[in-house]
Order: sequence, then C-alpha cells, then structure tokens
Amino acid sequence: MSKRLSFATLAVALPLAFASPVAHAATPADTVVIAKQIDDILTLDPGEAYELSGIEIATNIYDRLLRYEAEDVTKLVGGVAESWTISPDGKVYNFKLRPNLKFQSGAPVTAEDVAFSLQRVVLMNKTPAFLFTQLGWTKDNVKDLVKATGPNALQVTITEDFAPSLVLNLMTSIVASVVEKKVAMANEVNGDLGNAWLKSHSAASGAYRLVAWKPNESVTLEANPTFRLGAPAMKRVVVRHVPEPASQRLLLEKGDIDIARDLSPDQLAPLAENKAIRIEQFPGANTWYAAMNTADEHLKNPKVREAMKYLVDYNGMVNSFLKGRFIVQESFLPLGFFSAIAYNPYKLDVAKAKALLAEAGYPNGFELKFDAPNTSPFTEIAQSMQQTMGQAGIKLNIVPSELKQVIGVYRARKHQLLLISWGPDYFDPHTNADTFAHNDDNSDTPKVRPLAWRNHWYIPDVTKDMLAAAKELDTKKRAAMYADLQRKVTDEGPFIIMFQNTAEVASRANVKGFKGGITEDLNFYRTIKK
Amino acid sequence: MSDVTLRADLGHWRGWLLDQAPGSRWQARLGRWYRAWLGFRRNGLAMTGFGVVLLLVGIAIFAPLIADREAATLQVLTQRLEPASWQHWFGTDELGRDIYARVVFGSRITLTIVALVSAIVVPVGLGIGLPAGYFGGMVDAVLMRITDIFLAFPRLVLALAFAAALGPGIENAVIAIALTTWPPYARLARAETLTRRRAEFIEAAELQGASHLRILLTQIVPLCLPSVIIRLTLDMAGIILTAAGLGFLGLGAQPPAPEWGAMVSSGRQVLLDQWWVATIPGMAIFITSVGFNLLGDGLRDVSDSRAG
Repeated sequence: MSKRLSFATLAVALPLAFASPVAHAATPADTVVIAKQIDDILTLDPGEAYELSGIEIATNIYDRLLRYEAEDVTKLVGGVAESWTISPDGKVYNFKLRPNLKFQSGAPVTAEDVAFSLQRVVLMNKTPAFLFTQLGWTKDNVKDLVKATGPNALQVTITEDFAPSLVLNLMTSIVASVVEKKVAMANEVNGDLGNAWLKSHSAASGAYRLVAWKPNESVTLEANPTFRLGAPAMKRVVVRHVPEPASQRLLLEKGDIDIARDLSPDQLAPLAENKAIRIEQFPGANTWYAAMNTADEHLKNPKVREAMKYLVDYNGMVNSFLKGRFIVQESFLPLGFFSAIAYNPYKLDVAKAKALLAEAGYPNGFELKFDAPNTSPFTEIAQSMQQTMGQAGIKLNIVPSELKQVIGVYRARKHQLLLISWGPDYFDPHTNADTFAHNDDNSDTPKVRPLAWRNHWYIPDVTKDMLAAAKELDTKKRAAMYADLQRKVTDEGPFIIMFQNTAEVASRANVKGFKGGITEDLNFYRTIKK
Repeated sequence: MSDVTLRADLGHWRGWLLDQAPGSRWQARLGRWYRAWLGFRRNGLAMTGFGVVLLLVGIAIFAPLIADREAATLQVLTQRLEPASWQHWFGTDELGRDIYARVVFGSRITLTIVALVSAIVVPVGLGIGLPAGYFGGMVDAVLMRITDIFLAFPRLVLALAFAAALGPGIENAVIAIALTTWPPYARLARAETLTRRRAEFIEAAELQGASHLRILLTQIVPLCLPSVIIRLTLDMAGIILTAAGLGFLGLGAQPPAPEWGAMVSSGRQVLLDQWWVATIPGMAIFITSVGFNLLGDGLRDVSDSRAG
C-alpha cells in the first residue's frame, strides 16, 4: 500500500517537477550557452579565419606558439612553446616546445606540426597570411625559414628587420595556431593543405575541439580533457547565433542561454535590477569607423574628407544609443594598446563642414552610397550619420546588407562610404598601423590588401614611416613614431574613425569566469564555471 | 425651401436610377451601379472597410497638413524612446524621431506600393490570361505553363528572392511583389474569357468583322474587370503585408523612409520596454490590411449574384 502510494506520489510529482519553468529552461550544468552575433564567420581554419567571431572561436580551439593567458592577459608566456631564445641580430628565433602535449586525436604535438602550421599560412596565402609574409616569408623560402630542428625544437628565421617584441607578439596571433599535420594532410583536397576540411573541423590541442559549425546558427565546442592547463570546467560550449539583442535578452531572462554578448544599452538598463543576471564590462579594442573610398571623385578631395569628419555626432551617439558600449576614440589605436593616444580633434560642426565643402567646390553637397551592416548598432549609427551629413547637403543612400556582404564589397573596393569595425590581430600597435597606414602598391593585385589599400589611399611615404616604427628598438622613440602616425591617419586618412568598443557582457548570476579580452584572441571560454 | 427642393430632386434621381425600365444604356448602367451601392451599404463590415480605406487615402493625401514632414525623419538623440505625450502623440523611436509623423507619412509609402503593384499586376494578368483563354491551343498551353511556374513558388519567398537579387529599394520591392502577384489574375482572366468565348454576342462581333484585339478589348475586358478588381481589393491586404515583410527584412524602402515594416523591424530591439515603437506601425499595418479585406469581401458579396 505504502509502495503504491509512493508510486502515485511519484507519478504526480514527476511531471510537476519537469513542468516547473526553472527546471525546464536552465541549461545543463556542464554546458554553457553563449548568445552572440556570429554571422561574420566565414571559416574556422586558423590559417584563414580573419573575422572577429572566427578568431574568438579559434583561440578557444587552437593552442598557439605563444600566448597571453586568461590568468594574466598582460604577460607574454609560452603556449605550445616552453621557452625561446633570440639571436643577437634579432633574426633567428629558437623555440623549445613543451614536452608531452597532445592533440585531440591523442597524437603528440611535435615541432614538425608547429612548423607545418606556420608554413601553411604562407603557402595557402589567405587573408591573414600578411601577418607572416611581412617577416619576409614567401611560398618559396618559408620551408627553409621555418623548420623543426628536433622533435621539440623549432627554428624561425626572419629576413626583414622587425622589433623582437613585435615578432613574438605575432606568434600569439591566430596564424600561430598549431594544427595537427597528419590530420590536415589526411583531409587534403587538391593540395589545399586541409583548408576546405578545416573550415568546419578542428585538428587542435587547445582547450576545446570543434563539434559542429552551422553557419548563421551555432558553433558547438567540446572540452579537450588532455589540454595542457587541465580540462575546462564546462564540458560543452554552444555559441548560438542570435542577431537580435532583444532576443538575446529574452533568452537570458528565461535562462535559455547563460551569457548574452551583444546587448545594447536599451536592453541592459532594465536588466540591471534583475538579481538573476550580472552585467560585466570589459574594455574592447575594436575600432568602429566609416571608410571613404578615395577612388570616388568626391572623396578623393582631402577637404571633402575633412568636412565629413566634422559631420558625425560622435558625442551625441555615445551619450545616447551607444551609451556604455562605446567611447569616442578617433585615432586608429585603441586605448590600452602601447603608444595609443586619445586624439579626438573632430566633433559635430556643421558650419565648419559647410565651409570646407564650399572650398572644395561642393557648396550644395553631393550624393553617396553608404554601405552598412544591417544589424544594431550599425543601422542606428548609419542613420545618425545620414542625418548629420544631410545637414551639410551630403545625401547618403544607406544600403543595409549582411555583414559578410559589406565585407565583400569592402575587400573588392566597390564602396563609396562604408561603415564597419576593425579588431586588432595581436597585441602590438603594428597590427593596426600595418592596415590603417599601409599602402605602397595601389594596383588591383598587391601582395597585401590593408585597409588603406581598400580605400585607394596611396601613401608610400607614410608606409615607410610605419615600417620604420615597427623596426624601432628604442621604446620611447617607437611610441612617438606611432603617435605621429595616428595623428596623420586621423587628419588625412580616408577613415572617419569614431569609436572604441566596451564589451558589456550579461550572464546568469550562477555563471562566472567568462573573460572578455581587449582583443578577440583573449576571449576565454575555458575559465567559465557554474 | 431650397432644402425641400433638394430632397425632391434627390428623390427624383433615386427614382430615375431605380427605374425598372431605363430609357437608355447609360441610365441602365448607372442604375446597376446604384443598386450595387445600395447592397454594399447594407453590409456594415464592408462599409467599415470602405471607411478605413477612405481614411487611409485621406491621411496619405493630407499628410503634410496633419503631421510635420520634418519630424518624420528628424533625429533628436536626446529624446529617444519617449512614451506618448502631447508633443509626440505616439512617442518617439530609437533615434528620437516622432512616431506619429512617421506613421502618417508611412501611409504614403504603403499606398504607393499598393497602387504601383496594382497598376502592374492587372495589365500583366489580363495580358496573359485573355489571349490564353481566347485563342486556346498552343498559346493557352505556353502561357498557362509559365503562369504555373510562377504559381509553384511560395509568394513571399519568391518576392524575397527577387528583392534580394534586384537590391533593396521601393521600386524593386514593387517589381518583386508584382512578379509574384500576377499569376492568379492571369488564371482568373483566362477562366472568365473561356466562359464567354463562345457566347453569341462575341460571335456576332466576329461576324461583323471585328478584329481579335477589338473583341478582347471592347467585349471581354469589361466583363473580366469586375472580378479582377474584387480579387485585387482582396489581395491588397496581402500586398501590404508582403511590402511590410520586405521592409522588415531590410529589402523594402530604405532608411530613413518611414516604411511601416521597417519601423516594426527597428522597434523590435526595444519591444520589451518600449512597446510602442514596434506596436504603433504594427497596428497601422493591421488596420489597413483588415480595411482592405473587409472592403474586398463586401465588393465580392455585392457582385455575387448567388448572394443577392
């Protein structure tokens, strides 16, 4: 009888327990679900990925030769490498690898794998290859300049002059990710070094392995139990593509996700009082700017470009719909980077802009096509610019499209005005300088395609100064050189540099430890705990 | 005094219109229209729909008188997301623009799209359906298979594909919607033509030497038009929804144009706390669609001889 009763109780209680909303909605204890806009991912091959979300995912999958770790993001430490020596002339770098490291397949991490990983970046010659080719590496010489000198010894030789700190910083970037050679080569198609397969698979030794990437839907990662710093607390990480900040907020409030990454101030304000949710701020290093293609007949005129820099309501935006998410930073280095200066000469000044436009011969303005991503806050920024530019007669026709398409238009140099953001590739001022202030080959088929090139801004002299700064060994002198470069680009460049982002991350109160870094390379999932 | 004569006059007109034995074709035609109107007037819902559509047209025409044109696009970043007030009747949106002015001026965009789509769809539908029904045989087979191909796709998906391929913008949205809306009209026109093709008055016209074109335009088109117009009125709600859908997805009117669908789209970011930003244009879409639907239903009832 009592047995029957307990069965009856169970029969009633069970459905009740499952029906309670909390039990229903919460994510599993060993899984963390992150909502983020990830439609910019084109590939997850670390030799090709160059999009912000792709870099973030890859940094959690692939270990790198050197790293800045979550525990101290300011200190350069070995990743796969245990120690390193640099020749007196700064040309030869010898890395000693950590012993007993394993790939997710169980195979040991050898110098052969590391050499292969670095070489394939140059051999494949995809978008991020310039990070290495600037060291003097080419398809023909890279196999001699990057080689394994023993099972745990790697020798890297550079032919160009570069400050050692810069070279070491490059070895912390995405292109220094270590891929398992055997697996990559086993999946090679038509000599692509495994590129097609690695787009959506992983062969890595980092904290997580890639289970699945469904474009515009989700990325699923699984913990690597043999990771050198110990298995991560969360067995699974699911990054869901949720483009709508409002949806992210709803999902977070319901407990369907643990962390929301793209909430706007309008969503965050009401969340502040919710005890189940914690909001944290992390300084970001992304530069939000509008690019002006100087091949355009209006935009080639420096006066017009200067006028347009006066036609953006920087402070108005930062104090309203971008509040808490961005700060005004009009130079190309984000604050927090070595030698970054807070140089903000422009503010909304319609009268001055009108005078400049009149001098330039456009007293009545002109029309421009304005490519902008179709997600918040790009759309709001675009419309704010449309209004303020309109006050001086510059009529912007906004063409909103998917981020991917906007990037495509930009890389093909087919824009007039285009709204986009830029994230640095590694923790050294050269990463941004090398793209905002580099264009000494304006042909349609240059060796590298930096942002200055994308806007037809032909600057052989500035490029020389920029390269000199990269090689300068005296730190003080180097900082001064970068300060000059920043002022030059802000004053004369084809960029309306507007904002530096601050990442505001909202998580369920029980989810702790997500580390948002100043660059995507430093967004760590492995520290997340529940 | 004059009042009385006016009423007497009206009574006279009424009698003339309702005369059982009209003295001319003109009188007969007007009488038929008048009877239809009397039937329509008895249908309360239809009258409501008619009223809504009239109101919408009125708002669109007199938009500059009842709202400030500047306010529809003027951003005031310090007045973002304000609730309804005397200054902003429907509140303000995420860029501090007056939603009332935007909704009022948005009616122009919506009506423009509806008018342009109608202007394209009716001639195209008739142009394909009439010859198909009239000539039959190969012409019929070829034209109807083309129609079938267009009918095979879900309307919204096809419109999306066209709009995406042509690029965003009102003109392209109109083309995309028109391309997906014409096939039912071709079908309808063909069916109407088929039922009349062998009628004696057509054969009489043929015997008198009228050309095919003349017969189509003067004999068959007038007979097809009423059903096409009713169908069109019923479709207008669908056209408005499709246009709003394209706008919502960023393929319709481009910013800062106050297109209702695009307004709903931008308002969903703040739907939880500032519901009015998305809800007000949503209501506008809803009311307009219902208005056209009721009007279309009423028209159909009036013209349907079985209902009478």
